[in-house]
Amino acid sequence: MKRFLLFISVIALSIGLFAACAKSTPDTGSDTSGNQQKDSQDKSGSSDKQKITVWAWDPNFNIAIMNEAASIYKKTHDNVEFEIVEMAKADVEQKLHTTLASKMTEGLPDIVLIEDYNAQKYLQSYPGSFADLTDKLNYNDFAPYKVELMTVDSKVYGIPFDSGVTGFFYRSDILAEAGYNADDLNNITWDRLIEIGKDVKAKTGKAIVSFDKADGGLMRIMLNSSGLWYFDAEGNATISNNEALKEAMETYKKILDADIIIPTSGWNEWVGAFNNGDAASVISGCWITGSVKAATDQSGKWAAAPVPRLNYAESKNASNLGGSSWYILDAAQSKDAAIDFMNEVFGSNVDFYQTILTNNGAVASYLPAIKGSAYSAADEFFGGQAVFADMGKWMNEIPSINYGLYTYEADSAIMSNLEAYLSGSKTVEDALKDAEAQLESQIQ
Amino acid sequence: MERKLKKYGLIFIAIAIILLALFMFYPVLYSFYLSLTSTKLGKTNFVWFANYKRILKDPLFWISLKNTFVILLIQVPIMLFLALILATILNDKSIKFRGFFRTALFLPAVTSLIAYTILFKMLFSYTGLLNTTLMRINLISQPIEWMSNPITAKAVLIIAMIWRWTGYNMVFYLSGMQNISEDIYEAASIDGASKIKSFFTITLPLLRPMILFTTIMSTIGTLQLFDEPMNLSQGGVTAATIGPANSLLTLSVYIYNLSFKYVPNFGYGATVAYVIVLLIGILTLVQFRVGATDDEKEARRLKKQEKLMNRRV
Amino acid sequence: MKGKIGIPKIFIYLILIVASFLSIFPFFWMITGMTNSAVDIVRGKMTFGTMFIENIRILFSEYDMALVLINSLKVTGFTVVLCLLICSMAAYGFVMYKSKVTQRLYALTMLTMMIPFAALMIPLFQIIVQFKLLNSHFALIITGATSVFIIFFFRQSFVTYPYEIIQAARVDGAGEFRIFFRIFAPSMKSTFFAAAIYAFMTSWNSYMWPLIVLQTNDKRTTTLLISYLSSAYVPQYGVIMTAIVLSTLPIIIIFFAFQKQFVQGMLGSLKA
Repeated sequence: MKRFLLFISVIALSIGLFAACAKSTPDTGSDTSGNQQKDSQDKSGSSDKQKITVWAWDPNFNIAIMNEAASIYKKTHDNVEFEIVEMAKADVEQKLHTTLASKMTEGLPDIVLIEDYNAQKYLQSYPGSFADLTDKLNYNDFAPYKVELMTVDSKVYGIPFDSGVTGFFYRSDILAEAGYNADDLNNITWDRLIEIGKDVKAKTGKAIVSFDKADGGLMRIMLNSSGLWYFDAEGNATISNNEALKEAMETYKKILDADIIIPTSGWNEWVGAFNNGDAASVISGCWITGSVKAATDQSGKWAAAPVPRLNYAESKNASNLGGSSWYILDAAQSKDAAIDFMNEVFGSNVDFYQTILTNNGAVASYLPAIKGSAYSAADEFFGGQAVFADMGKWMNEIPSINYGLYTYEADSAIMSNLEAYLSGSKTVEDALKDAEAQLESQIQ
Repeated sequence: MERKLKKYGLIFIAIAIILLALFMFYPVLYSFYLSLTSTKLGKTNFVWFANYKRILKDPLFWISLKNTFVILLIQVPIMLFLALILATILNDKSIKFRGFFRTALFLPAVTSLIAYTILFKMLFSYTGLLNTTLMRINLISQPIEWMSNPITAKAVLIIAMIWRWTGYNMVFYLSGMQNISEDIYEAASIDGASKIKSFFTITLPLLRPMILFTTIMSTIGTLQLFDEPMNLSQGGVTAATIGPANSLLTLSVYIYNLSFKYVPNFGYGATVAYVIVLLIGILTLVQFRVGATDDEKEARRLKKQEKLMNRRV
Repeated sequence: MKGKIGIPKIFIYLILIVASFLSIFPFFWMITGMTNSAVDIVRGKMTFGTMFIENIRILFSEYDMALVLINSLKVTGFTVVLCLLICSMAAYGFVMYKSKVTQRLYALTMLTMMIPFAALMIPLFQIIVQFKLLNSHFALIITGATSVFIIFFFRQSFVTYPYEIIQAARVDGAGEFRIFFRIFAPSMKSTFFAAAIYAFMTSWNSYMWPLIVLQTNDKRTTTLLISYLSSAYVPQYGVIMTAIVLSTLPIIIIFFAFQKQFVQGMLGSLKA
């Protein structure tokens, strides 16, 4: 009898544990309903309490901007509540993949931020998962190249957000010390930049840029400025016969061989190098200005010029790196509220865009906003230059490109063969050929 | 009585088996089914063994396989060798502060995989502690780009893993050595055997099962290597390559990329996973064969013979 | 013989001191790092600074470290208790009630030890979603409650137990569960300790599965927080170091408290 009691108590214990855990850790779904109940009790009267959940990365940029947008919207809609979840970018992508792939709608947010390079991958891999907004938003108000990136079969799925227009942001004091003024740095080629870099190194001892060999960012800037990509319009890989890509690889090697850079690994070191004043410039998307300005002691010592171009005939002094857009999940619990919110703030509020430009350095792809006052203001950090008005100009010149589905695969193919070329064990032609073979095996 | 005992046996293992069936056996089988399918743009097709054919021509698979084996073949022997030496030293009762040394050497094993990886990433970064120290004592004039070169990046990973796991394996050897009677060594030393000789003639053979055990566990662990390369390579999931020129791309990381980073193809990811299972199976078998004592080999041979005889009869 | 080992002795101590230094040094760095700012850590400062309280404040107020530690403790605590109970019972069943069925099941179980987690990830995730356990700690506990390695570990230790004692207890009229819980388990304390420490470390340090299952920040565990902090855009190395130290501390405490039992348990299990 005793042993039976013992066995039963063990089972009871296990069940008790189960219940305790289940109770104390409800999933997001029931969590939401729990909150809804509580709230409707708190404020009897407002019957249709809504909660909008948002997933995004970068607390100083996307999250801060979303919080701003939420507080604007809440002023006129007190029945809507926001839960803005901050995660690492990698985690947002991974969680979106796992949840969509398991064909489960629970646990998904209402709004999610997706980087433009990945947009087509999510839209085409999980058809029907994202809300079709073709008739809900006035897409004529947004930069056409951004709208293009979120269109599948002439249906538009997202709300275009920040632009990734690139610039050559440099320390005007260091370059002046080496004898270069703003005109010398305007609309230059990469070859010219390397010459300047050598000069700067010789005269000031500073590296011209911090440079992460494993990061494909510069490669994408160079490609995008040429109007070419890893794929043609039909989605076929164009690697081995891609003139701009070949020149971009050769430029990488020239930059490294010239000994004018600080090699870094990863974002932290890369940003650290120009924040410490070890690197005299950074070439990247406009969103980097937030990190540049983090070094407040360098205020007034910076300036911005258009991004360098390749020698390739079609290459322009304008390009794009990164940038992302908001997407609404079709199965979202608060889908209609989310659409209304995005439309009201991101799709029509010009003042909001002035605020986030001033506070966060977010260059919008919402065209009416660019005519606003904040864009023409002089920026003290950049020595009084109206950097954002300049960026608005550069943005119009960015060649339009369809990134397709396979940016990560292509990046990986290029970067894993680039090293062999840089170290001299492969010719550029062989490296491109091997990269093409790798890419083709990945995208079958 | 017999039957009743059998019933109790089943009751004792029931919970474990139910949970394993749910969280192990079923996923294993389902993964195999997945490996026979291919997903493209939301449509899943049954493709039989096409994925297994595709794998042969996949350069990234071969890169990740090569990386995994380079790490395995360098890291595991060095680590086990160091562990063996340290265990031998600490097994000498005349050494003072043995307890302190043992604890100190084991300590790295308590850190989480994430924690020690991030620590080593910081240590070996371009402007990190190691470079600054080496420059301060004038050993190098320019910082070394540890994490930007495929060879040094792999070296950093291997060094980090050796740091984390040597003490852990040492404890296993130490426990094994304490089972070896002092008398055997005394007898050997009376016979004039040197310490080094008795290490090879007594310690090594008697430790063989333990060495086999640690080798197999380390092999399984290395073939599943995930947390370390993922966190050591900058940018993790969103980086173009895992380590410079994909030098830290291991098989497990590749599976993760195929499922959660690239245009998702769970079928192909599962195929790569099954190839790892196959590899671990083969390696374990080989290690068992190599590691088995002559007696065991003899016993196996006899058993086989017996079987043959029985069949003939 | 004794006279000969004078010089090598110094050499041996040298090896031990260097090896111990290399082992302990990162811990020392971690602890000084807790008291320094990000800039100082990057520049290689190795002495104690004044940022300790600031780092702790940031970690606890901005990242809710208290909650994260509680989450980890909760998940690990439940996992260890369940795992010990389930796995020891299973191992006992496999050893003491040998039959064709149990033998085959044991062989099948051992085979799965070789399967990498990456291979199970996707089906496992789907099961968890189907049970509506996504973003719950219970999903981590229930999947961690059986460990093939721990079953193997227990079994290795249990096979040396004299079967006669069990037989004798049966003759005395003790029931099977009473024999296991009252007679057998108490005599295997050190094995349970070793298994508990192993289970604790596995659960406490796990990363990939929590990364997939947990979705909101209020559920995250220490490994997820550390990984998150290190991937942040603005590196706060001092805060990262503090988080690493605080997350390692529980394991160090547990290990030191039960070191003797751990080694004994290991010994018992690996003799076989």
